[in-house]
Amino acid sequence: MAGTRKIIAGLAVLVASLWLRTDALGQAAGAETCYLDGWRNPLRCYRLPIESEPEAPQLAVMVAPAVNNSGEEPLYLLAGGPGQAASDLAPLLNAFEPVNRERDIVMVDRRGAGRSGAFRCGIEDQRSLDLDAFARKLADCYLDRAEFAESLSSRQTVEDLEMVRSRLGHERIALWGGSWGTRTALLYQQWHPQSVSELVLDAVAPIDTKVFLTARAAEDALQALQRDCANDPACARLGNWRAQLDALLESWDQGGRPVLSDPLTGQPLTEPMARWEFANAIRTVLYDPRAAAQLPFAITEAHSGNLQPLVGLSGLFVKSTESMSMGLTFSVACAEELNRISADEIAADSDGTFLGTAFLDLFQHGCRGWPVKEKPYAAPEPRAQPVLLISGEADPITPPRYADEALGYLADKQHLVVASGGHINSPRGCIPELIARFLAQPAEELDSTCTREISRPPFMVASYGPDIGGTAGNPVKEPGTGGRHDSGEEAGE
Amino acid sequence: MNRLTEILRGPTAALLHKEFLEAWRDRRALWMAVCFSLLFPAMLAGGSIFMVKKQAEEISRLALLGSASAPLLEQRLRGGGLEVDALAEGDPAELLAGDYDIVLWVQEGFAEEYRNFGAPPLYLYIDSSSSSSPRAQRHLQERLGALQQLVVQQRVTARGLAPQLLAPWRLEVRDVSTPSRRGAVLLAMVPGLLILTLFVASLATSVDTSAGERERLSLETLLLQPLPGWQVILAKTLAVASMGWAGALLALVALVSLMPLMPLAELGIQQATTLSGVLTMGLLLLPLALLVAVVQILLALRSGSFKDAQTQLSILQVAPVLLLMMLDMSRVELGGFFWQLVPLVGQQQWLKALLVGESVPAATLLAGSAATLLLVAVAIRLGARALQREALLSAA
Repeated sequence: MAGTRKIIAGLAVLVASLWLRTDALGQAAGAETCYLDGWRNPLRCYRLPIESEPEAPQLAVMVAPAVNNSGEEPLYLLAGGPGQAASDLAPLLNAFEPVNRERDIVMVDRRGAGRSGAFRCGIEDQRSLDLDAFARKLADCYLDRAEFAESLSSRQTVEDLEMVRSRLGHERIALWGGSWGTRTALLYQQWHPQSVSELVLDAVAPIDTKVFLTARAAEDALQALQRDCANDPACARLGNWRAQLDALLESWDQGGRPVLSDPLTGQPLTEPMARWEFANAIRTVLYDPRAAAQLPFAITEAHSGNLQPLVGLSGLFVKSTESMSMGLTFSVACAEELNRISADEIAADSDGTFLGTAFLDLFQHGCRGWPVKEKPYAAPEPRAQPVLLISGEADPITPPRYADEALGYLADKQHLVVASGGHINSPRGCIPELIARFLAQPAEELDSTCTREISRPPFMVASYGPDIGGTAGNPVKEPGTGGRHDSGEEAGE
Repeated sequence: MNRLTEILRGPTAALLHKEFLEAWRDRRALWMAVCFSLLFPAMLAGGSIFMVKKQAEEISRLALLGSASAPLLEQRLRGGGLEVDALAEGDPAELLAGDYDIVLWVQEGFAEEYRNFGAPPLYLYIDSSSSSSPRAQRHLQERLGALQQLVVQQRVTARGLAPQLLAPWRLEVRDVSTPSRRGAVLLAMVPGLLILTLFVASLATSVDTSAGERERLSLETLLLQPLPGWQVILAKTLAVASMGWAGALLALVALVSLMPLMPLAELGIQQATTLSGVLTMGLLLLPLALLVAVVQILLALRSGSFKDAQTQLSILQVAPVLLLMMLDMSRVELGGFFWQLVPLVGQQQWLKALLVGESVPAATLLAGSAATLLLVAVAIRLGARALQREALLSAA
């Protein structure tokens, strides 16, 4: 009898355990299945209200569940800008697939970005705009939502992330930050060190570095491009395109403001291109090595009067500008960066550079109509979490020296520098594997030799594209036996 | 309950003891059951490890003829699983017969035609009878496609157009499967193989206990005992099923133990089989083990000789697995309640779900298992009747 009872009890436990499993699955009841463009697999998506501020937008949280969750800390992706949404980073999940095998990857759209009440000002998709007109539109945008504009800050974002971490039941989290996202990550590490396990920072914006002083960095990136072009026989044949660029900028200064066409519609734009726009367009091209590889050719063409290649290059960045929430960008930039930049620093940074003050002019004009209070940071305190730093040698806004010079307070850091690399290098070459390895064994030093295989794309040297070579090639005997000539003409192509 | 105790103490207990002893002391049968039970989990694990390793290390060798006409091509084709050898000359057929998977010929004047927008041809020599050819072509297409995209982008940009004009839309793929469900593809054959293990592991024992005992003339002695026929068949069924069930359990445990070694995460598959799932799978195989055992015994008793029984049962063991495969392939919708009551089909469906970490309603499991046990009872009754026929003993 006792034996029979035992068997029945065992069966009951078994059946109960089947139901328990169903309940465990039901735990994620707050989550809905959703998708993001650029990533094919389903995500768990949450809308988390901010309990202390019921009128605030609900936070959009998207989780790419680990294939096999081994209990490792989830990786939170922090987007750049400020103004970019973490949900726009979904294509990075393809590169982070090795990380995603064992860790959840979490994307939280910060307040004012993406799906968390994007703070847009209707200027994000403007192809061309006069600086004053830009500032006026921005000021109107501020006045419409002054209180909301004032509320947005890095502190708020970090506290929101901390709330999400705790609501999702994550004890500690690893952070990946890209560009401005590295600033958010470094501040998170300062303010909640107990919540952070490791940091991967790509295109590093240290807390004390005034990253909006970008003229020197952009100039260095342009000079790296000059160096690489000079070392490439085909690109070197383009001649002194740098001098031509300087001449173009000078002619713009003297009032030569051409009217360009829209790279999408082909229609002429209503406004001529301003100098600040032109200089910023060059700076933007340097972000991406693929675009930068076309710059020497585009400049030589522009110098000879053909502006079309420059127009085409600007078309490469249409989408990235549109995805920014400008209200958020200016709320954070004006309160946390522009406030601490002096006129002397601007003069020192811009002196002798192609960009000059063109980038800062945009923000200085904008911030005049965006009067948010200063939100300064305290000096960073020592931190011991393992940190992987990634920089592109030719990054026009966050050059490797920032990570080298301004992060002395981090006790455990490694720095990967991608030769001739632009802004954001995480998806390139072997770097995704290195990131996965770092997160798995943060105490070990990475062997970064494989990053040497990451090279600049071939330079565009003429209207046909890159030089495929063959000018000095030897005649090649046709393959095959019997001397059959297998050309396209004979095949009737 | 008293009656059960009585049975367990009386001659029935002796019968059970005898049947189990005979079943389990046959080393050859035991060895066969163990071997087969371990074979398929080992093959499945080994196969998937080998497949992923091979895929990761797969290198295709490309012979590039005439690369002097296009050095950039040579430079950009390297990497991403493609090993490029630039050769001054060579015969494609001979190169393909040798170490190379594909041969790309850049003809003289290629660069000039390219500069003149002449869309010059590149000649790709393949050997479609070679198994490495599709992979090598894929590797080449990946590298060549990337370079082609870069050239197109540069050309379009140079004409003042945004490259997105060339892509009027983007096709965004959205996969509705989950990492655990993706395991269903890899583990699809496991239910069938577990069921096959039941058949194979109990085959030798079932022939021995029926046709074998008849040939050894010990069946006659057994039938002279004052025991009802159904008890004889039941005892034999239990003994044979114990062997089949043990084999299937061994296979199941081996498979689950080997799962952590399988590179499932690399394949995007979650190892989702739970402990309760494994226990449930073990339990649900028991009624099926009984059914397989009793059917095997009945068939062996009906057969003319020991050899005849072996032949018949060998065919029988393949038949259900073939049937399940055909049902799978014919895309018959097997989710309905009626199908859950059909032995083999029901168990296959439940195993499929439990392997990928899904739960099966307890009511379905109980109803389906009850249906299988009912068939076992009917079969035992039929067997008991068969034992009453004198012809049975003289079949040999």
